Amino acid sequence: MYPKQEVVAMLLAGGQGSRLGVLTKKLAKPAVPFGGKYRIIDFPLSNCINSGIEAVGVLTQYQPLLLNEYIGNGQPWDLDGMNAGVTCLSPYQAVEGAEWYSGTANAIYQNINYIDRYNPEYVVILSGDHIYKMDYAEMIAFHKKHEADCTIAVIDVSLEEASRFGILNTYENGEIYEFDEKPAVPKSTNASMGIYVFNWNKLRKYLIDDENDPNSDHDFGKNVLPLMLNSGEKMFAYKFDGYWKDVGTIDSLWDANMDILNPHVSLDLKNIYSRNRMLPPHYVGPDAEIQNSLIADGCEVNGKLEFSILFSGVKVGKGAEINSSIIMPGAVIEEGAKVLYSIVSENAHIGKDAVVGGYPEDYPDRDQWGVTVIGDGLNIAQGAVIAPKAMIDKDVEV
Amino acid sequence: MGINLAGIIFANVGEENFPELTSNRTMASVPFGGKYRLVDFPLSNMSNSGINNVAIITRKNFHSLLDHVGSGVAWDLSKRRSGLTILSPYGGHSFGHRIEAIYHLHGYFEQLTEKYILLTTSNYVANVDYQKMYERHRKSGADITLMYKNMPVSKNAHDPLVFNVDENDVITQILINPQTEGECACSVGALIIKKDLLMDLVRNCMSKNTLDFRKHLLQDNLGNLKMMGYNFEGSISLIHSVDEYYTENMKLMDKAVRDEIFNPSYPIYTKVRDDAPSKYGLTSVVKGSLVAQGCKIDGEVENCIISKGVHIGKGAKVKNCIIMQDTIIHSGASINYAIIDKDVIVGENKSLSGTDSYPIYIAKQSNI
Repeated sequence: MYPKQEVVAMLLAGGQGSRLGVLTKKLAKPAVPFGGKYRIIDFPLSNCINSGIEAVGVLTQYQPLLLNEYIGNGQPWDLDGMNAGVTCLSPYQAVEGAEWYSGTANAIYQNINYIDRYNPEYVVILSGDHIYKMDYAEMIAFHKKHEADCTIAVIDVSLEEASRFGILNTYENGEIYEFDEKPAVPKSTNASMGIYVFNWNKLRKYLIDDENDPNSDHDFGKNVLPLMLNSGEKMFAYKFDGYWKDVGTIDSLWDANMDILNPHVSLDLKNIYSRNRMLPPHYVGPDAEIQNSLIADGCEVNGKLEFSILFSGVKVGKGAEINSSIIMPGAVIEEGAKVLYSIVSENAHIGKDAVVGGYPEDYPDRDQWGVTVIGDGLNIAQGAVIAPKAMIDKDVEV
Repeated sequence: MGINLAGIIFANVGEENFPELTSNRTMASVPFGGKYRLVDFPLSNMSNSGINNVAIITRKNFHSLLDHVGSGVAWDLSKRRSGLTILSPYGGHSFGHRIEAIYHLHGYFEQLTEKYILLTTSNYVANVDYQKMYERHRKSGADITLMYKNMPVSKNAHDPLVFNVDENDVITQILINPQTEGECACSVGALIIKKDLLMDLVRNCMSKNTLDFRKHLLQDNLGNLKMMGYNFEGSISLIHSVDEYYTENMKLMDKAVRDEIFNPSYPIYTKVRDDAPSKYGLTSVVKGSLVAQGCKIDGEVENCIISKGVHIGKGAKVKNCIIMQDTIIHSGASINYAIIDKDVIVGENKSLSGTDSYPIYIAKQSNI
């Protein structure tokens, strides 16, 4: 018998994140490095423990090795409690057969047993690909106050952007009367953040109903939420006004990283926990020039750095120039190389005098310019030139 | 699989000439290298050498030490059947001498299943493979193996210990505070001995009330026991004074020293603090410095060790300094040749300066 937990969080971390291209070739999107020392999943995991949620199920499916290893026993996030903690939930084989997770709702459905053993009042559904800091306890308090069956966190987006999101139309008190998935003509700018609080007894019933519907895609946004609304359940929108960013594309991932360097953006990294490599402080050489950048432990910087983020253990040679770029753990930028508006993945090697990416102002035709991405562990030969917007997935010779 | 060797770290040895940083903390908890405490070096070395049972013996000022080491989990020394133990004075016994401490802790030593004991101090910085020393000890048939380094005798150490060794590393003479010039076989404070022999020697010293570890346990027994030297060929820093503290910290600016001490195959572990990466502002100018995480730098920094969580304001000039954790240097301040302890605030446009041979020390939590 497990001691009761009032709230259980379920973190959807199984998506491939195909729009991140080479960055998610060998790892799931939530495991993508972010912000100089974190991985994306550190944000929801830290939010959970900072909100007092101690039972967290992480639903993994695509490339789970690194994610499972990274989460481990949950100790870095204090999620290694005696009676609860973090548990990685992969698809499994049962008497009825074995099934992959066929949709977000199906993934939760297949883990009803995991949730039931804590006998919770509420279940929070989270996704593993958003950068934000949020106190879920406040959202749950809102949910209780309105005696809702389901509460969905929303963020105010601009009218132009609204067509890219699931939009919730509400009465003045926040009660939802309509879902509008990616509307051509949005009626409001309340975009769903993919964060849901449910009364477990209600959600449990609807998950089973949805599972029995052969026409359903078993997706929360598409199937379960509309089903609940049409059945007359009380559903509320909870407005969140902090920093929030979906980092599902190369551009948004790059933007969110750059936001950390922007003093006008309200994203601070305090109380975000992560599993750390044990490395010494970083060393800044006598010829280095560093402005407006973020540098983690174990780096050796001998070149010029502007508006950039160096993850742990990055080496930057003399005369190298890094501008507006994100250099992931263990990458090496040799002497004289230029890395401009780029994302260089873990352990990649940029040879001497190579040029990766370019300045947007040098490309009057904006369609020719974009963030350049170099895949994991690749070698870019001495003197090689990689055009802006390129996504490199194999070694480059000259 | 561990080795048949338990580790003992003396947390307070070497404090005599180093009151600045050790009047309110143990030698073991003196900050070093921007993110470490000195005890991280023996703890990590022992853990990396396969030692599973480690005790830290401390006689005073151990609050910061307890806070730092916790359960020992950071060094992988929090195990069900073994791990880290902190041993402090109890029952009114004095731990003033190492011999007294070991004598009164006989209960701890007796329950250890390990047959051999490694004794070390905590005032050294090095990456040491104790397994090699242990193998040498077993192979040589020595009663005691003492680690040494060929280097000039420290002028700051209280009674430094020097050996004369023959071509087979047999110790022929043990000298305390000798008048010497040039390099000698200087003790670096580590020795391996069979547990039963250690306890016999300690009881013998106690019965005669001869309590000086170096004089009575080592020097007086050289005739009766086979003592071997073990030459440590790597880079090692010994710290006995604020001058040595400064120069040994600054050695980390040398890449070869850093690469050896922070060997990624044998990492130096420390207590984890969840600091964000350090942020360099638009006005930062940083050259030749070691910077830990959680810092915010908007000023000029040259040839400094900047510890975690330090803030350096716009226009501040900090040169040749060791700045410890969470210290705040406000804009326009100017500091040269200083060791600034934890949680210090240096106000706007304030100026502080020592000299290269005499760095000034600013105590913890000072407000300037």
